[in-house]
Order: sequence, then structure tokens, then C-alpha cells
Amino acid sequence: MSAAAIRRIVVVGNGIAGLTAADSLRGAGFDGELTIIGDERHPACSRPALSKALLSDCADLTSHQLPAPTHGALEIAGRRACGLDAERRRVALDDGTELPYDRLVVATGSRARRLSDLAGELTLRGLDDALALRERLAARPSVVVVGGGPLGMEVASGCVAARCQVTVVSQGMPLEMQLGPHLARVFAEAAQGRGVALVQTESARLEEHGGATRVVLEEDIVLEAELVVSAVGDVPNTEWLAGTSLVTDGVVRVDARGLARPDVAAVGDLAVFPTPYGMRRIPLWSTAIAHSKVAAAALVHGEAAPPLQFQPYFWTEQFGLSLKAVGFLPLNGPPVYVDGGPGGPALMRWTHEDGRGAAAALNYRIPIPRLRRITEDAATGARRAA
Amino acid sequence: MKIVLDRARCEGHGLCEEAAPDLMHLDDDGELVIDREEITEAELAAANAAVRVCPVAALRIE
Repeated sequence: MSAAAIRRIVVVGNGIAGLTAADSLRGAGFDGELTIIGDERHPACSRPALSKALLSDCADLTSHQLPAPTHGALEIAGRRACGLDAERRRVALDDGTELPYDRLVVATGSRARRLSDLAGELTLRGLDDALALRERLAARPSVVVVGGGPLGMEVASGCVAARCQVTVVSQGMPLEMQLGPHLARVFAEAAQGRGVALVQTESARLEEHGGATRVVLEEDIVLEAELVVSAVGDVPNTEWLAGTSLVTDGVVRVDARGLARPDVAAVGDLAVFPTPYGMRRIPLWSTAIAHSKVAAAALVHGEAAPPLQFQPYFWTEQFGLSLKAVGFLPLNGPPVYVDGGPGGPALMRWTHEDGRGAAAALNYRIPIPRLRRITEDAATGARRAA
Repeated sequence: MKIVLDRARCEGHGLCEEAAPDLMHLDDDGELVIDREEITEAELAAANAAVRVCPVAALRIE
């Protein structure tokens, strides 16, 4: 089928991946019938803001808002895709209707992984979660956050801002798995400096006891708090693709252009794509955007569209620290300081074993294109040294 | 139509610059500079893409 013969494209999912894909399909010249299916009650919002500005910034409830769409798509809100017939090219919706397509964008994202079915276990993924958490924090409860990744630590930081007593339960040092030991230490010290108790454990489970939810660690150590929030990763929303050949181990594997097959793109948190370090899922806001642009072009133009030239971009704000990082994480070993020094403000770079560079700015204002260039300098420097 | 920047909100992530490089850029200090406030119909798609990717809703179109 030539590009001109593509009449109908269906985008399943209206998060930033789905919306960027819709924009980019128009940008790539697709002027046919575009349909977006989204099951969220609210319009798409900025997820990064939910755990940062929305939790910390007491006055402002608009930092997560995205503007109204302009892609001219038919939007079917409040409906869920529940099945796919990839051979007949039809998406089944939960109201029994079927949507035919010539091209499909799979962008149903992921949801919070939970440790239990207990109502007392709060998670943070959508706007309702953030608003509920924010409301609970206003009463200044004691909090245990289970999970020492970026989300868990941002939640903990939001709790501190709300003047709550916070304990973070983490496998190993918080953030070490994601950022590497050097940066993890900087953040752990900042958290502890603001009164956060850090507990390292191999395992944690939740149980109900006396009407409250509590956290049970290895060797039956029990942590009690008025509020338990878990931030233990995410689960891709791929159940609706069950029975198709698109899903393996709960994720959708795509090629360097974001295509799972020539007529189906998969973008955002549920996609596993080729990286220099193998097939990976990198569920970041910036990944979803970069990915969706490439995949939209590929759906319309096929192999004439350029493959993904991807370098992850990640940022976090917590405990008075602001970090921006470009390159593949974690970052092992000590940094080379391009500017500034330990603890920040600092501009740092690392060189991975394969010669690829990465750079991070800690409490240091820098345009991201410049941060990207520093990763290239690191790589060139390493080649020269070799 | 006009691109409006809420400077107090901008954190300099630069995703907008990647979406609409003809309309805005980050300067050497990491501050966003809107190069073209008044936009034409033809530039609207790029401007909208820039507004949408901003994770802190610092941009809007009026």
C-alpha cells in the first residue's frame, strides 16, 4: 500500500506517546481519517509534573496541563481497546464495536505495579492518584514510601515538602540502580539531610493490621505509618493484545523505527526497542516523545523514514536538587567535572566502557542541546585516549 | 496567534526547542528564547507540538 492509500489510522492510547504520534502523523503528511482511543477520564496530562510540581507546589494545580489537541482526530474518550485482530486490521472496543484501520499506533502505556490489593496501598500514576495523595498529605500523616527509584524519591520529597515524617524503603541505596552510585549518594545525603529515614531491604510486602496498612520487611521487621505509598515500577498495558503475535513477555518489541510490523507501531512505555545495550524498555517522558515521532513517520513512509537516533534524556527534582541527565544510565564510577564540583552545582560527564558518553547537570542550568554535546565530547575524548 | 511563555515555570528541558527549532531556542544560560512570538497558520502545528511536549505547561498559544 502506498502512503496515499493509507486512509485510516487508529491510535490506541491518548497519553503523550499517542498524542505525539497523532501530531507527527499529520506532520508526516497523513491527511486521512485519524482516530484516537483513550480510556482516561481526564485529558492527557504531563506525568512528570504529577510527582514533581503537583506534589510540591502547593498553590499551583495547572503545571500538569497539556493544551487541547490540534491533530484533527476523532477522539473516542472513556473507551478501552480490548482486542486486536492484526490480520483483519481491526481494533475491538469494550462497547462491542470494531474499528478498522490501515495503520495502527499502539500507545497504551503502563500502569503502576502494586505490591498488594489493599486499598491502603497508594500508588502514583495518574492525575487522580496525585490529587488523592496531595489531599492525604495535607493532614501531615507519617508516610512509608516503598520503592527507592526516581518516583519513590520524588514522592518522598513531596511528603517532606508537606512536612510529613517519611521513611523510604529501598532495595539497596535509593536511585543507585537507576543513576549509579555517585549520583545516588548525592541524593541519599540530600534526603537524609531533610529528615528522610532510608531503610534498605531485600524484600517488602504489605499487610493489613488493625485497620491500617503496614510494611513488613525481611525477618519480619514491621514499619507502621498512617500512609503507605508504593512506587515499585510499572506494568505495560498490553493485555488487550493477548493472542496476537505482537506481545512477548508483556511488552511489544519494535524495530529501530518503532514498528512491530509494517502496519503497526508501538510507542511509549510498553515498547521494547533496540539500543546499544540490547533490547530495552526506557519508560521516560522524553523517550515516548522521541519514539512517537520516528514511528509516526515510519508508519507513513516505511523504510524511507529515518530510524531512531536515540539518547535518553532524564530529569528529576527532589530534596532541593535538580538533575538533568543525557545518555544511557546508570553512570558508573566517579564523574569528570566539566564545571563545578561535588554536591553541585556541577556539570559532569562519564564515559561508558564502550566509549559512549553521558552527561549530567546537577543544580546547573544548561540547555539540553549543550548537555548532549558534552556526551559527544566525552565519547570523542575516550576514543582519543584509546 | 501568539506563543506565550510563563518564564517562572520554564525549567529549560528544551523539548520544545526540539519540536519547533524555528520558533524557539534555549540560550547559553539555559533560558528559553521565543524567536517568533507571532506565528502563522503554517507554523501552528510545530508550535502546538512544542507546547504539548513541555512537561511543566510553561508554554501556551493564544
